[in-house]
Amino acid sequence: MSGAGSDCIFCQIINGKIAADFVYENEHVVAFHDAKPVAPVHILIVPRKHIPTLNDIQPGDDILAHVGQAAKHVASMFGVDEKGYRFFINVNRGGGQVIFHLHAHVVSKAV
Amino acid sequence: MDDCIFCRIIDGRVPAEMVYQDDSIVAFRDARPASPIHVLIVPRKHIPTLNDIAEDDRILSEIGTVAKKIAGQLGVGESGYRFFINVNRGGGQVVFHLHAHVVAGNDLGTFFIKAAVCCAIIWRKLASLFGR
Repeated sequence: MSGAGSDCIFCQIINGKIAADFVYENEHVVAFHDAKPVAPVHILIVPRKHIPTLNDIQPGDDILAHVGQAAKHVASMFGVDEKGYRFFINVNRGGGQVIFHLHAHVVSKAV
Repeated sequence: MDDCIFCRIIDGRVPAEMVYQDDSIVAFRDARPASPIHVLIVPRKHIPTLNDIAEDDRILSEIGTVAKKIAGQLGVGESGYRFFINVNRGGGQVVFHLHAHVVAGNDLGTFFIKAAVCCAIIWRKLASLFGR
């Protein structure tokens, strides 16, 4: 898949070639702080598998359900699950996507 | 649930501009669109928030598949769109029946407004140049 491997920054983070502190991880996803946070809590949830955009998730692939479960866990870990948070995925350039490895943002100002 | 506006839309008791329906999901235009394209994707089953999705429930994957289809249908799949879920009050959730927003900035409306303003400015300049 284009962008996978050496030239994808998220693949490099997942492979340990670029350092990042994982705040959560399981067999499907990793989660770490956004390098340019827009709120006190701004975590990225990233599937281990390189999928460029939400449009590229294959039929039958449950990855988004796993990403959602991870978002729940992360929001709870940071104490914002009840106060509230935003879960969003930017899709393609016009949607604000910058890194073409599927990822969800968990953002909360309610700390 | 009787007091849930989305349950009433799903039951057909409250009208909405549907853009997609299947066995587990409906999608309709947001009543207060933030952008020319603003569709809500709503599971038929009443789940209050993203936090309430059971561990083994795959509904979010189904919602994602529908988002992809709708973005394609509305011609913004490739140009781009935002997919988001507000969770609880501090996250901006207003209706407590899980729903995802698909929003795309079709800038055509803005373009025509800007074009009209530019024409008006040019017209006034020309008018003043020619002493009208």
